[in-house]
Amino acid sequence: MPANSLLLSSSPHIYSGVTTRRLMLSVIIALLPASVFGVVLYGLPALGVILTSVAASVLSEAGFRALLKRDIRIGDLSAVVTGLLLALIIPPSTPLWMVALGAVFAIVVAKEFFGGLGANPFNPALVGRAIMIMSFPAALTTWHSPFAPIADAYTTATPLNLLKMGQSLSDVAASVGASTPPELYWNLLIGTRAGSIGESSVILLLAGAAFLLIMGVIAWVTPVFMLGSIALFSWILGVNPLVAVISGGAVLGAFFMATDYASTPMTPKGKAIFGIGAGLVTVLIRQFGGFPEGVTYGILIMNAFSPFLNKLRVPKYGFVKPAKPAKEGSR
Amino acid sequence: MDKKTFRGGAHPPERKERTSELPIEYVRSVKQVVVPVNQHFGPPIQPLVKVGDSVKRGQKIADAEGRMTVPVHAPISGIVKKIEPRLQPNNAEGPAIIIEPDGTGEVDFMPILDPFSCTKDQALTRIREAGIVGMGGAGFPAHVKLAPPPNKPIDVVIANAAECEPYLTIDERLLAERPGDVVDGMAILLKTLGVSKGVIGLEANKEHLVPVLGEAIAERRREGQDISVVVLETKYPQGGEKMLITALTGKEVPSGGLPMDVGCVVQNVGTLVAVADAFLRGQPLIERGFTITGGACKTPKNLVVPIGTLVSDLVPDTVQVDDENLARVVAGGPMMGPAVPSYAFPIQKNTSGVLFMDKAEARYFQEQPCIRCGRCMRACSCRLSPALLNEALNAGDLEAAEAIGVLDCIECGTCSFVCPSRIQLVQRFRIGKQLLRAKKQKEAQRAR
Repeated sequence: MPANSLLLSSSPHIYSGVTTRRLMLSVIIALLPASVFGVVLYGLPALGVILTSVAASVLSEAGFRALLKRDIRIGDLSAVVTGLLLALIIPPSTPLWMVALGAVFAIVVAKEFFGGLGANPFNPALVGRAIMIMSFPAALTTWHSPFAPIADAYTTATPLNLLKMGQSLSDVAASVGASTPPELYWNLLIGTRAGSIGESSVILLLAGAAFLLIMGVIAWVTPVFMLGSIALFSWILGVNPLVAVISGGAVLGAFFMATDYASTPMTPKGKAIFGIGAGLVTVLIRQFGGFPEGVTYGILIMNAFSPFLNKLRVPKYGFVKPAKPAKEGSR
Repeated sequence: MDKKTFRGGAHPPERKERTSELPIEYVRSVKQVVVPVNQHFGPPIQPLVKVGDSVKRGQKIADAEGRMTVPVHAPISGIVKKIEPRLQPNNAEGPAIIIEPDGTGEVDFMPILDPFSCTKDQALTRIREAGIVGMGGAGFPAHVKLAPPPNKPIDVVIANAAECEPYLTIDERLLAERPGDVVDGMAILLKTLGVSKGVIGLEANKEHLVPVLGEAIAERRREGQDISVVVLETKYPQGGEKMLITALTGKEVPSGGLPMDVGCVVQNVGTLVAVADAFLRGQPLIERGFTITGGACKTPKNLVVPIGTLVSDLVPDTVQVDDENLARVVAGGPMMGPAVPSYAFPIQKNTSGVLFMDKAEARYFQEQPCIRCGRCMRACSCRLSPALLNEALNAGDLEAAEAIGVLDCIECGTCSFVCPSRIQLVQRFRIGKQLLRAKKQKEAQRAR
């Protein structure tokens, strides 16, 4: 018998094959169709934005952790996910230095300052975008028609821009080259409209989301409640609920941002309330706020509630309600 | 048909294929036995023999007064050589009686007792005197479960044949080879408790045994008894007592309570066979079956050996081990069994398996930060939010840990198994439970 060479540890002694790296890789795979479609729509500038954002994210995480003499764990691919998500929610014409700055901010300030992987209270990609919108409002709200050269002469408005400016659904339809409502819905679903690089193709985003749901990477609760909430509150405020769900960043946000592990609740009840709240804030900003789109702030604001929503745990197995103490006066 | 099950859990690789078809081999002659004195869940008992004494197979060699105690018997006839602390499968040292065989094979069994004509007290006494404990893992005295207080009526006896731990196949083999004894054991418990309904619950990976058991049940049908077999989904920890009860009856054992609180008595298949042996053959619990397997085990087997047989004494005549690749030895299954520092430990009443894990199987990992993916929360069959519990314990907040329910943790290890960051969740909860119990004890002392 080998002496003193046996491993001793507390059980269990076997582990599932799922690792953080594999989960992150699944998210990247799920985002690939929409990313490729973004490059198809807007050409090389979109590719430049994506590559810059991913590279800046990964390098800034590695650099920052090296500076702090911490273990470098870019191998878990979480920085790639953040970089990719950030690229997908900004316009294709964003200057690359702004992209890099946004990515560095997302990783260093929103993630690493709070302790890195799993410890960030706010979604890093959304924080990056929020900072960029505040710092470079013009560049971050310059939109381009799909399949057209990225040049100042070809700037246009997104469907939500048009609605914000008080235009009607038929104006929106005209902007995406549709003449009838079904044609409008179809064009919005496949995503041939102006917008952020990766937000427009609802079909490809749903395909990626389906992959993540089937692989058990994300739970259905938050996205369903968030999109349902956007549809419901839009309808109450007199906006076409379907257009509200498929015309902006709602689908991308609901399936890929509101399901972020670290910054959203873990309990089912918490997830449901998170989704409803994020949807409500999104609709309120769209209708009454200063921006045409509110998904970013809808999710970021609910991120702040996550620690509290985590207190809404399901009752444990065999939970017995403590007997109510007899009332004082009843004696 | 949708198979019954509980909420949560996981499906670890089963790895039972190497032994599930192998008939049980009986090892009768060993060069010594190291019989731990305390093999039950309860207060310690004392040796009744001293060094130099001659003992017969089946003779009682340790006992004590007290409801929660269970005696221990000599597994072989021989001479007591030593009584000294030895390594036990739970990885601690405890007093053990070391007996070397004298070759006479003399037997001192109890008289045969007809379970269907004896009184309830006689039956309970027999089960205790036979030294029977729960053989699935915890070693809880069997007779205690069978004597519930009058305000806790029992309406069903459950045979735990789930065998949800990966690798282990001994219960499966007992069902296949000794179905009559399993059914007899169940019938004896039903008679003793005055209950008519018995359910044998097994996982879907043992569905092929349903006809075998059905035959045995039909053959041994007794007036007023209704024994049935229910196939459950193959999912860990289906064989956890509480989970099995919930899967079969839909009821949940209340927090801090016992199966009897929901009218259930659960006994493992091996325990039922031991009960049948005790009544029908007068044989106390002096041998048990277990599965010996793992990547570094060249000859995986299902064995029955005298209690106290050192695993190291089985090597190399009965079992061959690939010492080059041996990385970890586990007494029990890979999900809950303790790792031991050497395989010179005795098989005791609750040892259901021995795993020789090779280097690939026994890989260990660095803990990574929690990414809050919530997998542990979905897997926890006790619905305890392991990630939040882990946070509370890391912060040293025992009150928060108690509020989440750390004391309800059954330590099945599913959370640690599914964690993508390889966080030592259940391991930390074990420590948390101890700290919390110690703290409560201290507070109770101070209050006095």
